[in-house]
Amino acid sequence: MGGNYRSVFDIIGPVMIGPSSSHTAGAVALGQAARKLLWQTPHKATVHYYESFALTHRGHGTDYAIAAGLLGLAPADARVPQAPQLARQAGLDLRFVEESGPSPIHHPNTAVIELWAGQQHFQISGCSIGGGTIEIRAVTMHGISVQLAGALPLALYYAPDHAQLRARQLVQHLRQLVPIKRRQIKRGQAGAVYALNLGQALATPQVEQLMHQYPDLTFL
Amino acid sequence: MFNRIDELVQAATQNHQSLAELIMQAECETSGQSQRQVWQRMAQNLTAMEAAAAQGAQGVRSATGLTGGEAAKLCAYRAKNQSLSGDLMLSAVQAAMATNEVNAAMGVVCATPTAGSSGTLPGVMMALKQQRHLTRDALIRFLFTAGEIGLIIANQAGIAGATGGCQAEVGSASAMAAAAAVEAAGGTPAQSAQAVAIALSNLLGLVCDPIAGLVEVPCVKRNAIGAGNALIAADLALAGCTSLIPADECIQAMAQVGQAMPASLRETGLGGLAGTPTGQKIRTKIFGQTMGAISDAKG
Repeated sequence: MGGNYRSVFDIIGPVMIGPSSSHTAGAVALGQAARKLLWQTPHKATVHYYESFALTHRGHGTDYAIAAGLLGLAPADARVPQAPQLARQAGLDLRFVEESGPSPIHHPNTAVIELWAGQQHFQISGCSIGGGTIEIRAVTMHGISVQLAGALPLALYYAPDHAQLRARQLVQHLRQLVPIKRRQIKRGQAGAVYALNLGQALATPQVEQLMHQYPDLTFL
Repeated sequence: MFNRIDELVQAATQNHQSLAELIMQAECETSGQSQRQVWQRMAQNLTAMEAAAAQGAQGVRSATGLTGGEAAKLCAYRAKNQSLSGDLMLSAVQAAMATNEVNAAMGVVCATPTAGSSGTLPGVMMALKQQRHLTRDALIRFLFTAGEIGLIIANQAGIAGATGGCQAEVGSASAMAAAAAVEAAGGTPAQSAQAVAIALSNLLGLVCDPIAGLVEVPCVKRNAIGAGNALIAADLALAGCTSLIPADECIQAMAQVGQAMPASLRETGLGGLAGTPTGQKIRTKIFGQTMGAISDAKG
């Protein structure tokens, strides 16, 4: 039942717009995680809610929270409650679906977010485990689906077949900076997704430098 | 990072350190941040908590009109000096309810450990600030101590109403506040652990049954009891009273009780107060038939 909490700031914090840390602040974090797969606002997003999320999303402001995350807003941003209107203005076709079945990732606070940007389709399955902390338990990118342990921070990298050496360099590079607790490589038709569970979050300048060197790298 | 309350108490006792010092050191080690960085980050959280309590005391109202304005009523009542439970207790209750009224009104709060339970800890902290004349530095230390207790509970049991009921939210917040209150009042780390055990035991089994699924009723007043319970648990521990069951086992018990709770009592807005005729009537009034149809399908 226990969670993967690492810091006293997972407990004291976040500073956020109410009313629920798991259904609002955690939902902003889920939206932000989805956005990070693209590094832009998608043109279409469909959010599938399960269990407690399906039953209480309207009262908890989960819809505007996920919309805010998809737009890149912070949990304490005063514009969070207006996010669905802002999303429409930004040209985002945003839909919410209340699913009646059990969560595919086995948590009552589950959102599966599908994103479309250009010709690409991404999917991210996350849950809000309480106090605003989230886990990402599955992603689909470049047609490859990866089941994940859930705990963050996580580095995700897609390398086409001709660039596998580059991916191995990234793994070595990361290992010099932080312990890698778990490494998954999932191969698809024309490339592979690397999912690396990091033992510690990287400092912002390190993240910026890595993303400059490896443009398709995502940190969740 | 510690996995158990007894490990934390042992480390603090052996090193002759306060819980707050030990925890700050551990936070710097696991996050790779400097003492200055973590201190400033906690100071920002404190500022947000103070702002929310002050805003709520002025009187706010939620969009549904279900909550708001009661912290202000309490403020006026306190001014008459005729309260039954004493002004320290009521100042804690006022700040707790004020914070949660702001949360229900979609204002800015600091989750401690969650938004639904965000009033309990600041309630206790602000009451002690007034009574014990705690400095800003002492308040920041209070938050580090409370944070580590919450971190252990979160990893060993959980802090989400949807998985563990309200005991996991207000219960955890109350235990965190009790431990930090003991330390702020000059108690030992072992007494803080006793306060955790007592506070958790006394809210064990508390269900999460928000009316219409909204973080309003009974959440706002649950934070009043969370704050009151924390002060009582802290006083009991400071008086030398002890819990027969150690804190770590109380946390395990809370996890097991949470797992045994039916889904209707874990933040689905279906059972408990939410399931009463009045609770259901309010739900229908706010959301119409759609939400009712879902609850029938799921319930």
